Amino acid sequence: MGRFRWHHCRTTIRRSTIRIKPLKYEQEYTDTPQYPPILDISYKARKQRMENQWHEKIKSIKTVEEKLFEINMPRYYGWRSIMLREGSIPYDSLPFVQHVTRTHLREFKDLAPYSTNLEEDANKLLGQVKPRIEEALIFEFKYRSRKHEYLHNEGGPITAEKLDNIMGTSILQQVNRILLGNLSKKVPHLVKCQVETDPRIESFWSVGGMNPPTFLRKHKENVPWLKDEAGEPIDRWFQYLGSPIFHLRHELPLPAVVQMNESESSEFDVPFFSYDPKVIGFHDDRRLGTNIPGFWPGDPCEFGLLSFHHRGHMHQRLLQYGEEDRADALHVQAILASFGWLLPQACYQGFSTFNDVTYPLVTQTVITNGKLWSFYVYQLNTTLLHGEHTSNNPRHNLCWGTPELKLFEAIEDGKVIGFNDDVLKYLLKFYLNTPKVREGVEMKPYLGDVEKHIADITEDKRREWLEAEFKHMYSTRPRHVLPYEIYQWERIYKIRHKTRPLEARRRPFELKNVHPFMRRYDEHVPKYIPKKFREPGKFRQKFEDTYYP
Amino acid sequence: EYIFSRYPLYQRGNPQQRIFLPNFWLKLVRPDHKQPPNIVQFIVSIEMTKHDIKNYLEKIYNIPVVDIRTVVAMGKTKQDEVKGYVTKEDDFKVAFVTLPRGQKFEFPDLFPKDEKKFESDAKTLEETKKNHRKFLEKSNQRPGVPGWYSF
Repeated sequence: MGRFRWHHCRTTIRRSTIRIKPLKYEQEYTDTPQYPPILDISYKARKQRMENQWHEKIKSIKTVEEKLFEINMPRYYGWRSIMLREGSIPYDSLPFVQHVTRTHLREFKDLAPYSTNLEEDANKLLGQVKPRIEEALIFEFKYRSRKHEYLHNEGGPITAEKLDNIMGTSILQQVNRILLGNLSKKVPHLVKCQVETDPRIESFWSVGGMNPPTFLRKHKENVPWLKDEAGEPIDRWFQYLGSPIFHLRHELPLPAVVQMNESESSEFDVPFFSYDPKVIGFHDDRRLGTNIPGFWPGDPCEFGLLSFHHRGHMHQRLLQYGEEDRADALHVQAILASFGWLLPQACYQGFSTFNDVTYPLVTQTVITNGKLWSFYVYQLNTTLLHGEHTSNNPRHNLCWGTPELKLFEAIEDGKVIGFNDDVLKYLLKFYLNTPKVREGVEMKPYLGDVEKHIADITEDKRREWLEAEFKHMYSTRPRHVLPYEIYQWERIYKIRHKTRPLEARRRPFELKNVHPFMRRYDEHVPKYIPKKFREPGKFRQKFEDTYYP
Repeated sequence: EYIFSRYPLYQRGNPQQRIFLPNFWLKLVRPDHKQPPNIVQFIVSIEMTKHDIKNYLEKIYNIPVVDIRTVVAMGKTKQDEVKGYVTKEDDFKVAFVTLPRGQKFEFPDLFPKDEKKFESDAKTLEETKKNHRKFLEKSNQRPGVPGWYSF
């Protein structure tokens, strides 16, 4: 095993946040002295200023990919983040999820545009679409052979969850085909929309207001200048990994349901969750944060219309959790899925978890297994959830949802019994909702004028380097060399009980000011260029250029 | 420690075995960290599974349980002061039991700082000291005579 020289690495350098340069030229002098603002020099305020500098840096970067890259620059091995996955929803996690996404949940009936504008259109098309959907349902439930699903199962007999998901996928494919075909004449935007099957949804954001984990609290209590703020809430990173059935995307965004300043009223209050997320049942992992809305930057269809999700995980949900919790689990899935899709969409417009959106974004989510359907509309008004913004941010994100509704009661003798027209009407309204151009709104205020994506960069070397590095970071492949680890015996015989006083101190925990996990992304040995491959005019350049943002 | 009735590990397909008087015990513990009011922390016998803990609480103590999470924690290491060798205490299992929503449990304050009680305790202590001094005075005047002697 190669020996890594930790004592040759960078030790933390204290950078001053107070930058005052003395005046040089005669013309810069004024009659009355212009004093700089008096800055708070406490530890907390200094840290806050350094963080704000970093946020401003992210804001000033021109391209989308470089902004996403910069969020991971401070950590070579990645950020310690709480993993939120689509299927795993612990008991009573609705208040937690509402706090973490700053969402106010409401009944769907309160939504005005869906009950007035689109109602007539939906009623007209109902008669045209209903018989075809009934035919599709009968086929999928009765006549389609799914023997191959039962036979080719490696882990034993097929589970109820998997069957549920299979039924949901196949019925949705049929329904989507029918609706896109029948509605395209009436609603031309459906012709241009993109359908993305099995998209990769990942979103990464920072939330404050939650208690620190026990190990961090105890560490802070042992450090004299951190003792006072040991129990104070800290910011936590969250990584959401979604797995929808498919997506509908379009070039233009959906119109906002409620004006952004209306969302600041106190009737949209959100519950506050102050505990450590691990206490509820979530787990953390060290990972480079990724923000992917199902497509790569540069795709013309940048805004989401509809997303469909499985509900097979409800089969795995223990019955003792109760009916109320079962209903809440669907709300949790919808809120996370909607926020998890809208945040990366906003990131592709130039915003981030540190730079707030300047206009609202809307998405529609459907959770279904073919028979049971739930509809949700989500409006993203703010992405600032970290630090002071947890309690000071006036804006809230809004979500309107229905309880689970049955599309039909049963299918017998080649007929659908108890078909529920309301469910089909909701679905039609979702498809009929037309995306519009936002008049007079600067859509990408924080991106460059010409340079919006890496593909727009004219300098060849920089463009190629950035493309390769960005794709490597977002592949989330583990590194070839394992990260640093303190072994169990070292913990016992070197750290807790000092039983080896004469051994040479080479390990990072024995050295001062060496923190392996605080290694920055660009702290690596630069790539060597052999003499044969050096450029003709630059024989002295031994190492390759890097173009980190 | 030799455990006479080992809890038999059940795997699917095994015959259903029953043991009598298994080494099942629960110890209610104050949590080191802040947690929601419907989560209770126990230290349980390492041999208990989540189903065992659930059945124990529901059948013996009639407490409805929604969810249980268990963690086996490593025992603390100690260094002998004289010889310097390192020993380790036994490992133990910690169980976090989730009660239904709305139900609360707060670990009681076992050593309350009751000022009135402290004062009354101090008073009684003073009185006993006084009485003892009186007794000593009397017994010094008649050495060798038992204390219960009176007329």
